[in-house]
Amino acid sequence: MNRHSWIPLGCAALCIAVIVPWVALAAAGGGGFDGVVNSIESRYHEHAMRIPLMGLASVVAGVATRGGVDGVHVAEFEHFSAPVDGEELNRLVEEKLGQGWERMIRETSRHGGEQTLIFSHPEGKRMGLFILDLNGVELDVVQVSVDADRLNETIIKYKHHDRDDEHSSN
Amino acid sequence: MKHRIAAVFLGAAALIAPALAQPSPSPLPLPAPVEKELAARAANVTEVTLGKGMLDFAAKFMDNNDKDQVAVKQLIQGLDGIYVRSYEFDKEGQYSTDQLEQLRQAFGTPEWTPMVHVRESKGGESTDVMMKMVNGEPHGIFVLDAEAKELTIVLILGPIRMDQLSELKGLSGLSKLGDIEKDKHAKDKTDDKGKAAKEGDQ
Repeated sequence: MNRHSWIPLGCAALCIAVIVPWVALAAAGGGGFDGVVNSIESRYHEHAMRIPLMGLASVVAGVATRGGVDGVHVAEFEHFSAPVDGEELNRLVEEKLGQGWERMIRETSRHGGEQTLIFSHPEGKRMGLFILDLNGVELDVVQVSVDADRLNETIIKYKHHDRDDEHSSN
Repeated sequence: MKHRIAAVFLGAAALIAPALAQPSPSPLPLPAPVEKELAARAANVTEVTLGKGMLDFAAKFMDNNDKDQVAVKQLIQGLDGIYVRSYEFDKEGQYSTDQLEQLRQAFGTPEWTPMVHVRESKGGESTDVMMKMVNGEPHGIFVLDAEAKELTIVLILGPIRMDQLSELKGLSGLSKLGDIEKDKHAKDKTDDKGKAAKEGDQ
């Protein structure tokens, strides 16, 4: 084997390094928000209700907050009756969200059917937040991207509006 | 021979690639097996992991016109991390003294100074508070509170002002911080009583 024959081998190795995790991920229903929701659906045999026109709502939220809140994803499981193992659910979410997401809050109740998971993902000036909350028979999954400075500006603006309204009514 | 090397190389690449895609391990410097064992046995688990990035992010939402929030903002902006683990058990005896010892040993390095060390012979309840000192200044605090059916671990890393610490007790799982001052005063009182008794004996 001459020196040049290593080039196609190297390319093949690179392809495997990229393709193997991608195929594994695709086989399990993809990653990110949709990956988590799809995996919960298939694992617990429950169906998620996607909010209609969520994309439009996300754009409106972005405009209303001047980019403070963006990339809103919401899925809701009503009448979620399947028993949940907190450890397994956490593992599922971690695997599907993938690298870069760090768990910030985890509250697990073994008997009460209550699970809360909050993950964060720094995105430059923005922060991605993923929230999963199971409360009794309702499971909500939310993902947003937040620019703290811009959102805070909007919050302060509305606070001032409220104060002005209070003063004028008095 | 070269074909074998190539095959090994390809195999290794295929094995390593998915491993690289795994999520990063917990940043909390606790023995991972103990943490897992406790979580597996507990009926309720609360974990809070706030790194520097998230603390800076949270600080941006603090109201500069609110005195309390300004105090919290000042405190958390300088911190490197806040970590809380709270385990509630259905019955007693779900954790061992060995596990507690392993948790304490994780902070047995010279930079960590024991501050409060309370043991109750009845029920085996205990509270440990350790402080990380850097150039004589507190740069971390570790609280381990063990009750019959509950175990709470709090770790705060970064420069800490003790007078502002109780401001954090509103955060999930950090209510134990409000007790630190109380425990410290109780310890001081006990020490004073001990000294007075010794002087009386002499």
